[in-house]
Order: sequence, then structure tokens, then C-alpha cells
Amino acid sequence: MASKGVSLKVKGKSSASKSKGSSSSSSSDEKSMCKALKDWSNWGLKKAKVIAHYGFIPLVIIIGMNSEPKPSLSQLLSPV
Amino acid sequence: MDAPTAFNATKPTVETKEKVDYFNLPCPIPYEEMHREALISLKPEVFEGMRFDFTKGLNQKFALSHSVFMGPTEIPSQSSETIKIPTAHYEFGANYLDPKLMLFGRVLTDGRVNARVKCDLSDNLTLKANAQLTSEPHMSHCMVNFDYKGKDYRSQFQLGNGALFGANYIQSVTPNLSLGGEVFWAGQHRKSGVGYAARYSTDKMVATGQVASTGIVALSYVQKVSEKCRLRGKIDSNGCVTAFLEERLNMGLNFILSAEVDHRKKDYKFGFGLTVGE
Repeated sequence: MASKGVSLKVKGKSSASKSKGSSSSSSSDEKSMCKALKDWSNWGLKKAKVIAHYGFIPLVIIIGMNSEPKPSLSQLLSPV
Repeated sequence: MDAPTAFNATKPTVETKEKVDYFNLPCPIPYEEMHREALISLKPEVFEGMRFDFTKGLNQKFALSHSVFMGPTEIPSQSSETIKIPTAHYEFGANYLDPKLMLFGRVLTDGRVNARVKCDLSDNLTLKANAQLTSEPHMSHCMVNFDYKGKDYRSQFQLGNGALFGANYIQSVTPNLSLGGEVFWAGQHRKSGVGYAARYSTDKMVATGQVASTGIVALSYVQKVSEKCRLRGKIDSNGCVTAFLEERLNMGLNFILSAEVDHRKKDYKFGFGLTVGE
């Protein structure tokens, strides 16, 4: 897993609360919220990385083709 | 007759120095470019094999580039001999250059993407991002920098993947001297470090010094000898001799020759290439 500082800190917090023994509803809520936040942020970062990997060069090309003066599509594809 | 003497009287004499206005110092060079002059002359981009770059501008701000490289690449080996594997790759790139936004992207045949973004969020605040993305998991790197430029200082905050945090600050102390410091923390390797740097520059020379708690001590001195310099050469304490020549043949045509001879490892690298385009 791509270990980040945030995820390590959250793991420490959740294991400390687990070892406390008191399974009050507030601590279990906190634990599941931390876990959900960690899972969501990991999922988000993975998706962002895939989007950047495939989409960055097309993004640059789209921005460039829309800048003034507008180049034509044939200029984009021809080698000269 | 009187006019020349009157003119001489108003001109200040050469011996009196201009008083330093400490509230009006120039903005210093960014911290990471501290060793810029030394690196330009001592670290040319040497390569081995054949290289051909072609850049085609579509309009003032937008350009596409095609680059072909054929040559051996070194892989790290346990024995003292260097192992080289012949490789060839084609790289396609797109650049967009605006006064406020710069986008730079390169994609290789093996799927690696190299992306750089520089965006001026305001007059003094700049966002820079640098990423190398691969299809293999856990092999991608990304670094985001926030730069703030003040009247006579610069500060920068860095974020990287793998919980990497860094900050640096540099201040002009006199018109020629600037001092700076940096701290960083790498969560993945559990390392942190502090560093200090100083740069003294005049019209004719630049001297820089840098120390860091990671064990780096770097000192450099560059003396400007002449205005134009096309051949760069270097001799190393490792027994390595390098030469790099960049010759402009015509408008938009650059011819590059690079040679590196490592006497200790008996490793010889020669490269030649052509760059077409602005």
C-alpha cells in the first residue's frame, strides 16, 4: 500500500482506541469514520493518478488547440 | 570652456561607493537554483548513443515534440563491471507556454508519463508540480511546490508522495550575498533533515556553499571568463573526463556531441544527436 503519513497516524489512533477496551459507541464511530476517510482518500488518490496518467497529455493538447491563434487539426497530425 | 568643468563637478568620483540601501535589496535566486552556474558548466546532459529531437511549434504558445533515442542504458550490477542493455525509445511531448501557466508533458513508448505544471496563482504565489507516472504500482512519484516570492526573500513549501514534506527559505542579506535554509521530512523512510546555504555573486563570479544534515557539503565557485561558451569539459576526482559540445548549425538546428570516459571503470560513452526546432 502507498503508505502516507496520514494513514500511519490514523492506524495508530485506531489501534490505541481498540486496546482501550471500552467499546463505547463514540469510539467505535470514530474508528469507523477514520477507516472510511482513509479508504476514501486512498481510492481518490488512485483514481486521480490514473486520470493524470492517461489524461494529462490530451489535456495539454486540448488547451493548446484552443489557444489563440487556433492551429488546425492538420497541423497537429502532420510531421512537417 | 566652463561647461565641461561644471559637468565634471556634478559627476561623483570613482572612489565613493554607492550606499547600500538595505530596504531595497534584489530578490534572491530560488533555493533549488543556488548551484545553477556550477551545474550548467559541470553537469551537461551527457548521453550515450544517438538522439534526435524534433520540436514543431503550432502557435506561439503550443508546441509538440518528437524524440527518438537509441543507445545502451546501464543497469545496476553487483560486480564492478557495468552492464549495458541496448534500448530504443520514442518520446512524444506537448508543451503549452503561457505567461501565467506552463504545461509540459512527455510520454514514452513504455507508458511512462512525465508531467510538469507551473501556474502563477497570483503575482507572488506560484504553484509547481512535477510527476513521473508509470503503469507499475508504487513506482510513480509526484512533487508539488508552493513558492511565495517576497520583496527580498523567497519561501517554498513542498509536498511529495510517500509523505514527503519540505520547506525552504532564502533571503538577500546584501546586494551580493543571500543566505537560506531548508528542512524536510520523509515519512516513508522516517528521515528528516536540515540544511543551510549561502550564495555570493558579483558580475564576474559566483560562489555558493551548501551543507545539509543528510551529509551533503557542496561548495562551488564559477568565474565568468567570456560571454559565449560552447564547449564544456570537466575532470572528476573519480577519474572521469567529460566533454559536451552544442553547436548551432543553422536557425533551429542544433548538433550535440557528448563524450564521457571513465578511466577507473574502463567505461566509455559517446553520443551524438540532432535537435530540430526552437
